[in-house]
Amino acid sequence: MKWLLITSIGLYLFGSFRRPFLAGGLLAGLSYLAVRGVELGRLPLVGPHDTLVFLAVSIGLMALPFLFSPALENSGTFSWGAGFMAAFFTLLALPLPSFSMPLPPILRTLWFELHVALAFFAYALFGIGAILGGMFLAKGERMLLDLLYRAALVGYTFFSASMVSGGIWGYYAWGTYWLWTPKELWTSILWLFYSFWLHVRLRGGGGDKVLAWCGIAGFAVALFTYLGVSILMKSSHSF
Amino acid sequence: MIARLYTSLASLTFGLWLMGGVMALMAAGSFMGERAAALNEMPLFAWLGEAPLAASWWLWGTLCLLALMVVNTILCSIEAIRIRYGKSGPMALLAPQLMHLGFLLIVLAHLLSARGGAKQAMQLFEGSDLRFPGGSSVVVEAIDATMGPRGMPVDFGARVRTVDGGSEARTTVRPNEPLFHRGVGIYVKHVELFPVRTAYVEVHREPGAGWALAGALLFTAGNVLVLSQRRERRTP
Repeated sequence: MKWLLITSIGLYLFGSFRRPFLAGGLLAGLSYLAVRGVELGRLPLVGPHDTLVFLAVSIGLMALPFLFSPALENSGTFSWGAGFMAAFFTLLALPLPSFSMPLPPILRTLWFELHVALAFFAYALFGIGAILGGMFLAKGERMLLDLLYRAALVGYTFFSASMVSGGIWGYYAWGTYWLWTPKELWTSILWLFYSFWLHVRLRGGGGDKVLAWCGIAGFAVALFTYLGVSILMKSSHSF
Repeated sequence: MIARLYTSLASLTFGLWLMGGVMALMAAGSFMGERAAALNEMPLFAWLGEAPLAASWWLWGTLCLLALMVVNTILCSIEAIRIRYGKSGPMALLAPQLMHLGFLLIVLAHLLSARGGAKQAMQLFEGSDLRFPGGSSVVVEAIDATMGPRGMPVDFGARVRTVDGGSEARTTVRPNEPLFHRGVGIYVKHVELFPVRTAYVEVHREPGAGWALAGALLFTAGNVLVLSQRRERRTP
């Protein structure tokens, strides 16, 4: 079944400067997730393999509405950037073993699925924000910064909702809506970072380039929160 | 001088510095490792009273900056309403303030839990009970687990009977389905069937939970309103 992932990588890497190929890569990734989901009887959201594929698919999915904005309608750069990012995370997932055991009872709740899915939609939008930030630094078109704002604001909304659903899940699962572990701390740092970004933009006068660089830095913080903390630190969300 | 202090405390720039400071301190705290491991085993203020400063400095710093951030948030909201009242629509004015209010309630929730939270772990057996002040009790009637093909439990729980005054009620406590009784939550962490059926139980008191939920709902409502406002502005 991994041929679906290889197909999506190929479509993303070699064709995603055209929208149909990006959509094709997304469809292949989605099909892989759907087959995994049917096999497992749940959303495939546990372990590095499934979450990396879910992130890659989320990037493709979240990139779609941006492709139809007037500023990016004829831009192969954005389309390929999103495709490259999705291909990169799919490539990372490819050699990793998938978690196919029955879920521990504590993870079998809608709050968990909502928490994880919303977090990855947010990470994907932060990634798209980083691409737009990079494009703004290269081209200097003001519209790109406006799109970065939209990506950051919607991503922030998803991420806040993910924190809320995580808190509700934690309360029902562990008896507390908050734990002082590295994952929770970095989740708060990421949330504060985008709160900071949105307030810097509100204040104005910070410089467009600063906002663009912060958009890129935000995705780095998101990646550390997702991968860095899970791999390097002992935490409640370790892989 | 008071006017200058007010202007500084109410300024967005000050808020940005505070956010930066909290992020830096939390990042430092995330590298504390085992030195901060006991932090989740007791209420925050109890831990702060016991932990050496070498392990807790980042948290003291975070709390100080958060206290200033609360003041800054309140003053920024007051200023925003004062300046924009009558100039922007009620929704545009209200939405960010709802988010601020949600944030403040979540901070309040953490304060309440940090002061009055409690956690206790225990083992219960079939027939044993958990007694509460005032005479009520929770009696464990049966403990069971369903094992998966690889010997891992796929479901487990304890059937309990609550006895409160003259009334009795039966329920099953299992993962994600705790029992709330007399202001505490009773959670079954895992069970053992041999040699004696045993439920490993944690009793939690989280006085801030309701406030946290209220804050989260207000924040989400404000956030959705902000999004809808942006959408309206884009639509000609």
